[in-house]
Formats: sequence, structure tokens, C-alpha cells
Amino acid sequence: MEPNLDPNQNPVAPASVPGAAPVPQVVPEPQVEETPEPAPQKPTEIKIVIPTHAYFISGIRDFVVNLTKNLTGFSEQWAYRFQAVVDELCNNAIEHGSRPGEMIHLTLISDKNKSLEVLVEDTGTGKEKHSAAQMQALLNDRKQMMATQQYLGFRGRGLPKIVGEWTDELVFEDAESGGLRVRVKKYLRKEEDKVSSAKTNDPTHLVLK
Amino acid sequence: MTQVQITIEDMAGAPAGKTVKIVHVVGQLDETNVDEEAKNIYQVLEAVPQGLSLIFDFSGLEYMNSKSIGYLTDWYSKISGTGGQVVIAAARDNILDILQVVGLTQLINSYATLEEAKLAVSQ
Repeated sequence: MEPNLDPNQNPVAPASVPGAAPVPQVVPEPQVEETPEPAPQKPTEIKIVIPTHAYFISGIRDFVVNLTKNLTGFSEQWAYRFQAVVDELCNNAIEHGSRPGEMIHLTLISDKNKSLEVLVEDTGTGKEKHSAAQMQALLNDRKQMMATQQYLGFRGRGLPKIVGEWTDELVFEDAESGGLRVRVKKYLRKEEDKVSSAKTNDPTHLVLK
Repeated sequence: MTQVQITIEDMAGAPAGKTVKIVHVVGQLDETNVDEEAKNIYQVLEAVPQGLSLIFDFSGLEYMNSKSIGYLTDWYSKISGTGGQVVIAAARDNILDILQVVGLTQLINSYATLEEAKLAVSQ
């Protein structure tokens, strides 16, 4: 086999000439490349502006389910729970917080495998303007009422039960715009993903899978 | 308006003195449609003021919001007040989950299949 004399073809192998003194080969020290620490993943923030009309919310529900399943690390069960949480918050903003023809602002912040945060802000021009303090008092009253008796009322379950039970943080804020901003956050805990409703004759029974 | 279809049929073989109706719900119940759809159920309640039981076949129900849960609670209160029963059949996991978090599964029995629900109401 002809020796390869073109150092450009193989820059590591030294050129050899028949009869010449052997050229000492310098074997380079193997270079250990340091694997850089993975950069912390920046949370994904999605902002949606929705006209004040319930018609648009079914599309938002579909979006929230898909986003939660695919981007957040939460389970399918939690995807449907967030669907309900966002639906309730948006409907409250539409029904009480923003005048028809105006907008509500929905923000979803996914810190993958850590948390999902939802903010819904109305314009404060709807038929029932409430301050953050008033909303907190209302929530406390409803929570207390539902904790002490079997609630058979027609309305009022959305915030204390669906939103309140399925999130870790629920905060009302007076927005600079004059509206109300509701901020909820849920932290991902794998052990919670194992709890599922069971299809049994005992409807209150939970099964740990 | 979100798509939902509600059909109501009589259950064959209901015990004497009882009227059992099966309410099949397919689609999503939300703010855009629940008020309108609820009228059909109230018409049934008015037409059968005594001895009515309702089986809600939720096998095709994809979503229900808190207002539709409020209606369900109201129908339960009215029907149980007249000696009837309200039960749920074949609900999907996400529906059972939301009914459970609001405490409704403590009031309304839920069965895995429509046949089981029919059997329970017939006893």
C-alpha cells in the first residue's frame, strides 16, 4: 500500500519516507472536553388576548389540554384539570370583569417539569367590578361555606373548588389597567399524578395506581 | 356555540310507578350552550312531577363546566325531593374528576356502565 504523503489528507499521521530516520511521533494528549452544564431552561410564556365572549373559550380549552400534555411535564389528568381551571377563570372574567367588545388577557407560563402558572386579567369594566381584596374575601367565604356543609347551590363552585383545589397558589391582584388579575400556579409533584378517579360503585373512592 | 347533543329516552322495563328516563349527553357542556340545553331537562321535570328518575349517560360527554354542575345539582335536589333518583353512567375520567372535586360524587352515584346504572335505578 502506498504511504499517504499528503498531510492534508490525514493531518494526524506523519508522512513516512522509505530509508529515512523514523520521525518520532508525537501523540497528542487526549483532550477531555468538559461537558457544559445544561443551561437552565427558560420558562415558556404564552400570551393570548381573547374577545369578551364565551364563544372563544372552547378553543382555549383545547389549546390548554394540548399545551399541558406536550410542553409542561404534567400528566393527562392534570391537562384536563388545567382545562377546567382556565375555563373557569376566563368565564369569570367574561361574565363579571370585562365589558362585551373588550378583551381579556390570558397568560400561560410553563416551567417544564416544575410548574404551570396561569394569569387571567380583565379590564374591570364588566357588570361586577371587584377589587382583589373583595375577591379574596368572597373566596374565603365560599371556601368556609363549602367546608362546613354539603353545598347544593346553583353557582359558586368554580373558584373555591375547581380553581382552588387544583392549584397551589391563587392570588388576586389589582391590575394597573384598572382590572382584576387572577394568578394561579401549580407545582408538578409526580406523586399527585398517581391519583385518579376510579370508575367504581363507590364514587368517592380513589385508587392509587 | 360549542357542540353538544342531548337526547332523552324512556328506559324500557322501569318498575311500576316509576318513570325512568335516560339522558344521553354527547359533546361539551359549557357557558355557550348549557342554559339552552338545561331547558329540555326542566321540561321533563315539569312533565313528570312525581316518581321520576334520571340516568345521565355521560359516555359521550367530553367536558362540563361549573355551571353545568350547578344544573346537575339542581336536578338532583328537585328529583330526590320527590322520591326519585339521579345517577350517572359511564362518565369519562375527567368528568368524574371534576364531579369529585366539587363534591357531587358524594350526592350522586356513578356507575361504570349504562347497564349498571339501569340496574341500580330499577331496584
